[in-house]
Amino acid sequence: MVHLKTKEECRLGNETIRVYTVELPSKHAEGILKVIKENIEGQDVIDLQHLRRFAKPKYLPPHWSLPVRKRTEGRPPTLYLLVCPANLISLKDVHDLLLQHPPFCSSADSWAYPLEIKEITVPMLAPTSPEQAAEWSELYWPTFYRKTNPFGAHPSSISKAESELQEPATDNIALPDMMKLAEEAGTATEKLGYGIRTGCVIVERVDDKTEIIAVAGDARLKPLPSETREDASCTSGNVMSHAVMRAVGMIGRKRLRVASSTQARDAFFLDLPLTPLEQQYFERDNLKPDGYLCLKLEIFLTHEPCMMCSMALVHSRVGRVIFEHRMSRTGGLTAEMVRNDTGPVGLGYGLCWRKELNWQFMCWEYTAAEYALREKEKEKARVLNGNDTEGPDEDHPEQNTTTATTICTSNAITGSHDDVNANLGMPSFTSIHV
Amino acid sequence: MVFGPIPNREYHEGFMRKAIEMAELALSSDETPVGCVFVHDGEVIGRGINGTNASLNGTRHAEFVALAEIMAKHPPSILKDTDLYVTVEPCIMCASALRQFGIRAVYFGCLNDRFGGCGGVMTVHSDPGVDPPYPVYGGLFREEAIMLLRKFYVQENNKAPDPKPKKNRELKTEILPITTPNVATPGGGTPSLELNKPILEKAAVAAKAQITQMK
Ligand SMILES: [Zn+2]
Repeated sequence: MVHLKTKEECRLGNETIRVYTVELPSKHAEGILKVIKENIEGQDVIDLQHLRRFAKPKYLPPHWSLPVRKRTEGRPPTLYLLVCPANLISLKDVHDLLLQHPPFCSSADSWAYPLEIKEITVPMLAPTSPEQAAEWSELYWPTFYRKTNPFGAHPSSISKAESELQEPATDNIALPDMMKLAEEAGTATEKLGYGIRTGCVIVERVDDKTEIIAVAGDARLKPLPSETREDASCTSGNVMSHAVMRAVGMIGRKRLRVASSTQARDAFFLDLPLTPLEQQYFERDNLKPDGYLCLKLEIFLTHEPCMMCSMALVHSRVGRVIFEHRMSRTGGLTAEMVRNDTGPVGLGYGLCWRKELNWQFMCWEYTAAEYALREKEKEKARVLNGNDTEGPDEDHPEQNTTTATTICTSNAITGSHDDVNANLGMPSFTSIHV
Repeated sequence: MVFGPIPNREYHEGFMRKAIEMAELALSSDETPVGCVFVHDGEVIGRGINGTNASLNGTRHAEFVALAEIMAKHPPSILKDTDLYVTVEPCIMCASALRQFGIRAVYFGCLNDRFGGCGGVMTVHSDPGVDPPYPVYGGLFREEAIMLLRKFYVQENNKAPDPKPKKNRELKTEILPITTPNVATPGGGTPSLELNKPILEKAAVAAKAQITQMK
């Protein structure tokens, strides 16, 4: 499983700032730092805690090409000091300031330390991984990774979640089984002609014990009382019956039932069970009483949800989301828009972690090794058969260049999920809102 | 322009009046007062009030309640010739649903600067995407829409068990003028809240924050 980058991480991760640096003998380091702290205002405004204040020459980026000096040359050891951001004070003023203090002032040994202030570029914001810190240290200035992340979930929360999901306690269902159940939910409604084989599983974790509390497949194509099957107009079907909306609806209904043993009255919503699989989990009163919406629940999805469903997860206050197939043209969770190696990867909404919304949750893309193997097998079968009769391609969205805008009748969707058909005038699965 | 001139304004005000009536109904049933009607060929084909509290479902917004009613009687394709009148700008979720359904146009009262999907926070109605965008027109009975929200927050506050400072229990009647809402940001970019913070419905939000704080 790969944790998704947040919008902020994508947007701000590479912002830089100009700062002054100066080389000075180690024994004067503290003295000069004091001078800077006392005389240059506004240093608290910008947080540069992720950068070393003093750096030994040998830790500076290779492109500085500093001469290698040996102690035997009789020169005392020196350090490089990160003075302050360049926008706080002019180069001339900082120069004048340092000239007033040892070792740069006109005292006995000042001749040995010509004052040379250098303006350099450094990363403005803290790195979000040790790898990034190492990369930045090579490129800009020695950088710390402090195991914090101002733009997303705290790294320790992410690793705790990952270990809970990947190494489940005894009796808890394993992640691949959860993903398989989501797939089965989608297949079950698809078989009935109700949906497009996308599925959703909702799990509650109480004291390290997990409980599956809702399972739903997509039902956008379930014939409505009003509808005749030959309604052949291009349609997205009943948009409100995407798998996520149905699963979230089931949770609300269950809560009502557990709290008051009354049924919700609005029969217009398709969030009652439609398949035996959905029924099996819906009928169990296995959720914690007095819960609120889907607060901190865990959501397992076959596909990255659309904007509607992504925002429904925000409104429902979910805790963790894991989806298998990225939907690069319709998905609402991915914040990344382009990758160097694969090109476009998403719309860039990143709804799982937007600071302007009132709720954030962790989100992963599921990348099981078994899954990769299975795909390889499928690919092999495809090549052997010489045609594309099976197998979605939505995990390779970058190959798709069609511009279908809507999906057509139920048969067009349920009959095929292949982009191959896009060439025949049928829409591709990658343009579908999941 | 979300708050641009609306051609044939009186006609649209007639339907927004019905949406306001729905919002009043929500207020009297202790739901956040948001109401809407869907209009096809000059006729109301669906109406809804926010129902998140009664359903214990955070997605049961007025638009969804109305859409579910419409789906029971009409094929989804009817929405391509249907307009929505809603007292508060649709949220990001509803804005996306409406676009997937192919709604013809959306008329709303006040901006939703916490969750708005049609200019308040994001611009889901017009961002690049696989479905055609739809036009939005804001500002119909805006003051009334805001006052309904404020009444709700004051009502909720007065129901809270412990006594509150008097100022939070009084209804503020001053309404700030319209400022420029967020402009479109293709690709789901962040409409820069810091630079261009929508301050329209702030009073209501502030009131709500006070209530939450006190609970
Ligand atoms: Zn969806």
